[in-house]
Parts: sequence; C-alpha cells; structure tokens
Amino acid sequence: MGQSTTTRRRFLKTASVAVAAPYVITSTALGGDGIPPASDRIVMGGIGIGNMGRGDQGNFLGRKDVQYVAVSDVRRGVREKSKGKVDAKYKNSDCQLYNDFRELIARDDIDAVHIATPDHWHAIMVIEACRAGKDVYCQKPESRTLREGPLMVAAARRYSRVVSGGSQRVLQDYRKVVNSCWGGEMGTIKSINVNVGPLSKECNLPGSDAPDDIDWDLWLGPAPWAPYNAARCSGSFSTSGNSWRSYIDYSGGGMTDWGAHHFGGATFAIDVRELQPTEVVYEEEGGKNYLTFRYPNGKLLYHNKPGRGNLSAEGTPDETIDAKPVPTYKGTGGIYGDFIECVKTRERPFRDIELAVNTVTVAHLGIIAYTLQRSLKWDSENQQFPGDEEANRFLDRARREPWQL
Amino acid sequence: MLEQTFEALKKYDWGQDPKVLKPINDALISTREDDAARKQLEASLTAILTDNVPRAAKDFVCRKLRTIGTDHSVSALASLLADKDLSHMARYALERIPTSGAAKALRDALSNVGEAQQVGIIGSLGVRQDADSVAILGGMLESSSPLSKAAACALGAIQTAAAARALANSKHPAAIDASFCCAEALLANGKRLDALAIYSGLAGDEQPKQIRMAATRGKLACLAKK
Repeated sequence: MGQSTTTRRRFLKTASVAVAAPYVITSTALGGDGIPPASDRIVMGGIGIGNMGRGDQGNFLGRKDVQYVAVSDVRRGVREKSKGKVDAKYKNSDCQLYNDFRELIARDDIDAVHIATPDHWHAIMVIEACRAGKDVYCQKPESRTLREGPLMVAAARRYSRVVSGGSQRVLQDYRKVVNSCWGGEMGTIKSINVNVGPLSKECNLPGSDAPDDIDWDLWLGPAPWAPYNAARCSGSFSTSGNSWRSYIDYSGGGMTDWGAHHFGGATFAIDVRELQPTEVVYEEEGGKNYLTFRYPNGKLLYHNKPGRGNLSAEGTPDETIDAKPVPTYKGTGGIYGDFIECVKTRERPFRDIELAVNTVTVAHLGIIAYTLQRSLKWDSENQQFPGDEEANRFLDRARREPWQL
Repeated sequence: MLEQTFEALKKYDWGQDPKVLKPINDALISTREDDAARKQLEASLTAILTDNVPRAAKDFVCRKLRTIGTDHSVSALASLLADKDLSHMARYALERIPTSGAAKALRDALSNVGEAQQVGIIGSLGVRQDADSVAILGGMLESSSPLSKAAACALGAIQTAAAARALANSKHPAAIDASFCCAEALLANGKRLDALAIYSGLAGDEQPKQIRMAATRGKLACLAKK
C-alpha cells in the first residue's frame, strides 16, 4: 500500500507537534531488531477502549508493524489507563487522548482506527472514518439498524477503505463445522441452526448524576436521551439488564451480540456469507417460536429451532461432493493480523464489512420478525420489506441531534 | 385493563418497571387487524403527548407511535418538535410515519424551532429522502456550520438531481460526500453525464487523496461500457 514515505513524514510531523520537547528520532522509529521502521508501520488509533476495545488495542499494540498513537474514549479514567498501556509499550509519553472521536479521526497522520464503542455508535464512526480516509477495524455487531449497513459498505467502497468487522469466532471457533460443510463429506448442505438470544428490551432504569469521569451526552450520542445509570452504560458482556448490551437503544441484545458470532459462523458454514435472506418465516412448534431464514439459493438458516443444536448443519449424508477450499485469514495474528495485512495490500479482509453487514442483517431481520410476531419478506437489493409499511418502519430509527449518517 | 395501563402511563417515570406498560405493547400487535381498536389505541397514546406527564411517559408514547402512528397523531407529535427535551423523540415517531402529512409537519417546523432542533429535523428529512425539502435545504447550505453540514448530509441522502444541483456550489466539506452519494444514485439511474460532471468537479488536486481516488473511480464508472 501507499504507506511508505508519506506515512513516515506524516507520523514524524504529528509526533513533533504533539509533544513540546524536541523530537528525537529514536531507534524505535528507525526500526531494527525485527521492528520495521516507522515508514513501514500502520499508524493507528483506538475509539472506545472499554472491555472489547482494551482487548483489540492489546492485539494491535502487540504488533511490530503497528504504531499506536492515539486513544478516544468518553470516560477519562479509561482514556488515561489506556494511555499508560500505550506509553509503557513505547517507553515514551506520546499517546494522545481525545474525549471526542472526531478529533482523533481528523488527524491526518493516522492510517487506521479500531472501534469498540457500544453498537449505536458504530455506523456513524465507521462512515466518518472512511470519509477521512482511514481504514477501520470495527467490533461486531457492526450496525444497530438495517439502514446503517449498506451505508457503511458504500462509504468503505466509495473511499477504497479496508473495513473489517470484528468477530474472531467466525473462523476460529466454528472451524470444525465449517470444515465439515466445505469438505464435502456432508453432501449438499441444506440447513443450519443457530441458538442465541435474548433480544434487547426498553430501558427505564432510574437516573442519577453522571460522574465527572464520563461525558454522558457523548456516550448517548445518537441514542435517545436518558438519565445516567451505571448499569445502562456498563460494558459488561451480560444481556440480563446490567449492561448496555441489554437495551434496545444501544444493542440488539444477545441476538446481535453473540448473534454476530453464531450467525457469522452459520452463514460461513453453509456458504451464504455473500447473500441476504429473502424471507424470514415466524414459526411455532410445541409452544415455542422460532425463525426460518430462506436464502435465494434455497438454503435455510434456523434460529432457535426446537430440537436442533447450535451450529448443527443438515446435509445429504448419502451424497459426497467435492471439497471446496475454505477461505481464511491473510497475514499472521488472527483477525487482527488479517486486517493489518489487508491495510498493507489493499485486499478485502476475511470479515470484510459487506460480509459482516450480511451477518448482522440476519439478526436485525430476526429481531423485527419476533417484535412483530409474524413472517417477513426481504428485498435485499432495495433493502426494503416489499409492500410492508409496518415492517419498513423498523429499517431505521431517528438519531438524536446533531448526529446523522 | 388497557384503561388502567394508560392511567399508569400518566405517572410513568424513570425507574419504574416497564412491565407495567406491557398491555400497551401487546395491543400494538393485537390491534393489527382491527382498525377501530388501532385508531383508539393511537388516540389514547396521542392524548398523553398533550398531558402534563413525566418525560419518560412521552418518551414511551413516541416509541409506540413510531410503530402505529398515522396522520392522526402527526399534529401532537409536531407540537413537540420545538421542545429541546422532546424534539428528538417526536422525530423518532415522525421520521418513520410514511405519510406526506408527517413530512410536511417536519418541513413546516423548520422555521419554528431552535438551531439544534433544526439540525435534527433536517436529518430526518434526509432519512425520509424528502424531495420536497430540497429547496429549503439548499437555502441552508450557506448558513451557520451545524445547519449547513446537516443540510448537505440530508441532500446527499435525498440523492435527486435537484439535490445534486443544490450541492454543486456548496463549500462545506460535508457537501463532498453528499455529492458523491448523489453521483452514485444518478449513475445507478443511468444519468451518466450528470454523474460525470459531479465526479469531475471533485477530482482536483486540491482534494485529499481519498477524495481524488473516489472521484477518479466514479469517472471511470461513468465512462465504462454498459
């Protein structure tokens, strides 16, 4: 890619502005000892450095081909802790901190950002970063509404950005079922089932004064105003009420959170990653509701179908078909290495944003079907529920001013 | 049962268990095939908007009217657009009510609300791809920064030829991405020369690298054989 001297100049220029002391070209900047010179490193910043962001940061920070220079988080304590980690790694005090992500994105020395805020922020940040010419690694689930997905893809393609979704489990955790399905020994794959939940719910937690440590208005961002409550904004992985993952305004609950993993693995296994369903059938069996997603090639994806295990695929056992090569990561270092390698080569990553959006679309369609308690037709080309005025109201939700996509 | 729930709704505030309002949520589904019951439900919800009730109650009502609101609730929702606390939740419903009455209410409110609320309304008009607001939005492109940015983004979402023309002379940075959005839509609709003109205007050396690349790719797409 075009990192080369341009990146080096930009990096050195910003570094010299960012610190008051005269900039000294260190041995780290020059490379050596297996460390590439600064000109060959991807300059990165992180936005949202809570639970998932901290892990993502650690993975990028541990790479010799990454120069990590900035952190944005609306919690002061999180920012400062994160800076300590970065500065300790580089043995300097250069990591710059931002409350407002827009200031980080505006830096022209930064090549790529990773985003791990609550889900209601993802689309705005990804699109803004693409407009500013940044490559993006965005945690899953990548969107909060159906309308957001195609806009994220369009921004990535418009500005030729490398944008990776964030589920490391799609390839790593479900390798066995993927290999079985792609290996041919199961014959023609007809269906697969995903067990995941629950859906998020409306939040009416009591309010209290927000601590000085958090910019509460910026945490809420495009979501409806609500009073501060520690459980409302907790980054706990729970979806049972004590985290933002439990609530509609910020998350689709387990359906999108773990759903991004499971639906991602399932659609990979039955090889429909590049498609979206044409129909979601709301079904009932033994007093329990479940969903059947129909794909245009006839394959079926079930959600919570009674009697079917998670990621259990159904093939044609009497038939053996030719094996297909299973796509995998590029570079080294799992999904993070895949992203960085693609930033260098300008290839599309394993969890390219279009594939990631196709996955989260399944979850969003499912949420709407369960909410309306009925079946839905889906026109993926036009991103509409054809002739279905009631369902089309759920394509998006108004963003609190001043936020737009 | 529903009457009791509406009485509870009038006192609904942050910290109360949302389960007390479950009968209303259930009614959103059960009245789907019953026009009279649905109209009554909408009327009961709408009445809350003009009552002196907690903010959380009106927040709840707006969420429900997003799903079942019609022109019958537009006026009450529009009356909240100037309220800095409730403007967003009024849009939460109005943005998704697919009637010309809801669009008109949003357009009409633009001249009666503060700048922050104007920015929100402009965004909603963009999401609705409201072609009738192009002239109004075009007139805002040279106003204060928050308004001009919002107007540019909205025109980029509306994506008509008129929206593209309105954006053509804007100097706001947000007009660049908005113009690309319009060009992509024009190209998809076969208006290659119109799209080519937009891309050519954005390909200058003064633009950042990612803008020049996007413009060049767009020009190539316009010139490609069908």
